[in-house]
Amino acid sequence: MNKSILTLKNINKRFGSTIALNDVSLEVFPGEIRGLIGENGSGKSTISSIAAGMQKADSGEMLFNGESWNPTSMIDALQHGIGMIVQESGTIPGITVAENIFLAETEQFKNKLGLLNRRAMNKKADEVLSDIGITNVHGSDMMAALNFQSRKLVEIAKVVMKKPQILVIDETSTALSHDGREIMYKLIKQFRDDGKAVLFISHDLDEIMEVCDTLTVLRDGKLIRSFTKEEFEPDAIRTSMIGRELQGDYYRSDFTPSWEDEISIKAEHITVNGHIKDVSIELHKGEILGIGGLSHCGMHSLGKVMFGALKPDEGSVTLNDGTEINSPHRAMKHSVGYVSKDRDVESLNLSASIRDNIAIAGFEQYAVGNFLILNSKEKPYVQEQIDALSIKCSDMNQQVSALSGGNKQKVVFGKWIGRQSEILILDCPTRGVDIGVKQAMYQLMMKLKKEGKSILMISEEMPELMGMSDRIIIMKDGVIMKEFERSAELSDAEIIKYMI
Amino acid sequence: MDKKKEKGGLNHYKLRQILITVLPFVALIILFGLFCITVTAKDYRLDKYLNIVFNEGVVLAVVATGSIFIYTLGSFDISLGAATLFSATMGVMVYNATQSFVLMLLVIIAVGVGCSLLNSLLASAFHIPAFVTTVAMMSVLSAVSAQIITTNGGAVGGISIPSAIVKPLDNPVFKIVLLVAFFAVCFFIFNLTKTGRRQKFLGGNVICATLTGVKYNKYAIIAFTMAGLGVGLGAFLTLVYTPSVTATTASSIGMNIFVAIVFGGMPISGGARSKIYAALVGGFSYILLNNILKILIDTNSGYGITQVISAVFFLIVVFVTSMNYRTKMLPR
Repeated sequence: MNKSILTLKNINKRFGSTIALNDVSLEVFPGEIRGLIGENGSGKSTISSIAAGMQKADSGEMLFNGESWNPTSMIDALQHGIGMIVQESGTIPGITVAENIFLAETEQFKNKLGLLNRRAMNKKADEVLSDIGITNVHGSDMMAALNFQSRKLVEIAKVVMKKPQILVIDETSTALSHDGREIMYKLIKQFRDDGKAVLFISHDLDEIMEVCDTLTVLRDGKLIRSFTKEEFEPDAIRTSMIGRELQGDYYRSDFTPSWEDEISIKAEHITVNGHIKDVSIELHKGEILGIGGLSHCGMHSLGKVMFGALKPDEGSVTLNDGTEINSPHRAMKHSVGYVSKDRDVESLNLSASIRDNIAIAGFEQYAVGNFLILNSKEKPYVQEQIDALSIKCSDMNQQVSALSGGNKQKVVFGKWIGRQSEILILDCPTRGVDIGVKQAMYQLMMKLKKEGKSILMISEEMPELMGMSDRIIIMKDGVIMKEFERSAELSDAEIIKYMI
Repeated sequence: MDKKKEKGGLNHYKLRQILITVLPFVALIILFGLFCITVTAKDYRLDKYLNIVFNEGVVLAVVATGSIFIYTLGSFDISLGAATLFSATMGVMVYNATQSFVLMLLVIIAVGVGCSLLNSLLASAFHIPAFVTTVAMMSVLSAVSAQIITTNGGAVGGISIPSAIVKPLDNPVFKIVLLVAFFAVCFFIFNLTKTGRRQKFLGGNVICATLTGVKYNKYAIIAFTMAGLGVGLGAFLTLVYTPSVTATTASSIGMNIFVAIVFGGMPISGGARSKIYAALVGGFSYILLNNILKILIDTNSGYGITQVISAVFFLIVVFVTSMNYRTKMLPR
């Protein structure tokens, strides 16, 4: 085999009482796409972020192209050959796409008078984006005006522009819909063909088996096993990941659509300028209604409209008793919950504790006289959610930012489940969570369905939509293209043709 | 070996947490000790200087306690000093017109709350950050107060009420009772009610809070109301201590509060780590530090040097208190 580009030897890292990496050694070779897989909190983001200069190891040695590798920052690492695309947003919202791409490098666009030539910078940004196949985003666009997928694609362009030798992609595909993923896969392939390497982190086993040449499994901060392409076998990988065999069903096992006659919530003739055009949907009691489509199809905006967080230009959202949902406050008052796709910005207060994040939505459940918050009432309430969802934490006062992606998502679920929400709007509910957590969430959704709760599940993952929904609505360009009922015969090819 | 490591790590982490919590209290005790040493070393009367520190500290602590609600939201109010001056001015004017102590007190509180509420209502109506309106309000209130004072009493002497009216209240017991009562009410709202908890959450992430049904405007109005109460009480205590008002009364209180609450351990960005006791601890720490420096640097340039040293302390405290959440975060 070739000489490795990157060698990590006996890397150790801890965060407070948590051992994130325990003596991990790893090699990455030219022309290799190496997958890193493991449960949330297994250490895969930590090891790759150390290699990419985001943080330093407590001990261990790194070699890049045979020389000692100790990047001082992510910029330093990128300039010297290792670029990383982080899991959550790595862009700045208040400036343009071009300014994001050329952040700290605007000198090259200054004229003799020292003034910035924005036109040249925007043009160059357009070229950079176009080079990787992004044509619907422009250098002059404001970052804040872009959706999550487009922001992620800009981030990819920004890193790839520097032509790193190793590209680290940390759980990025869940932020991308079909077209975005195609762009990313093409890039990955290009890296391999050019004799460079990719470290690819994903929770999607099918995807990682398809994309990667080799696969390394981490668990509880330890390297468990590496697989070559020939050794790829889903059950063996899963068992390595979680240290046991998955028990019970992953998705729901029945293929019979079922719901009660009573409508829980309905949207009528919703129009949101530029996003949604005259969309009407009804969600029944005991139903899981899946909404799918490409990222720009309007489904994420529809979720916000249903929760009252986005005011439609036309149309209305009403409950079965005729109550109009026109604000999150009113939605919550009537037992509607909302899990946003943008978890770290819209669903969690990262600087607060697990307790604060879960309790904030549940005060009505235990506040004495509806205003007084007592420890003796709040602590058991929060602990109940932590136990029910098996949130891995040192205690309920741990800061949410210190949790892994999957555990953060569990906190978000805990927030809404605890307050006994009757209607749940879940926008990409399993984004960035591992298969163990995914399974737990799917089982929870089934439990809620059986209890007569209504779930609107917006998802960019076809297996999830098909595996869990009673009905699937496919949106494209802001309109409903097709509705499918749950069936064993339903195929993803049949659904995808209405999405693209 | 791992277990040993884990135990060591846990202790280090917890020690760090405890250190950051305890530091403001330790600083207060050290400053108090230094103050006593400095006064004694200079052969000044300690009881007299303690009285000065107490009276200045009570006013700062009361206004700061109310303002914690605003700072918790991640906002700030630079007009607190001007509002205190305006409240006191209106109180004096009303007493001199009606000879009614009760009416004077009511007007002082009402004006304090009114000025503060106006900030949040203007910010809400024009969809601009509240601190922007407080900048404008500071100028307006200072100018109006100065005009009233100059017209009715003169720029130097100012306006006043008969000292006999407030003399019975100018004692430590009354001031401590007032401070403790106001602090207790604020502590209760801040830590034990939905209102306080929601304000802390809003300060941490306004988008997430809004998507959890928390209405920003409602809690901003509550925050400014509490701050207004503090301003009113602070203005009243100012009159109790000195029954006259000049154009410079309470002029620096707005900035002093900002520095004081950070001294007391309040995160500069507000949010979940906000602490109501930061107002008390920080308020008295700041006044002690100021007085120590005033005594030590007894020259013409003393004021400037005092400010520079305070600024350096401020930067150090911000660095230390924010150290815990700027680092040691797991990658997401």
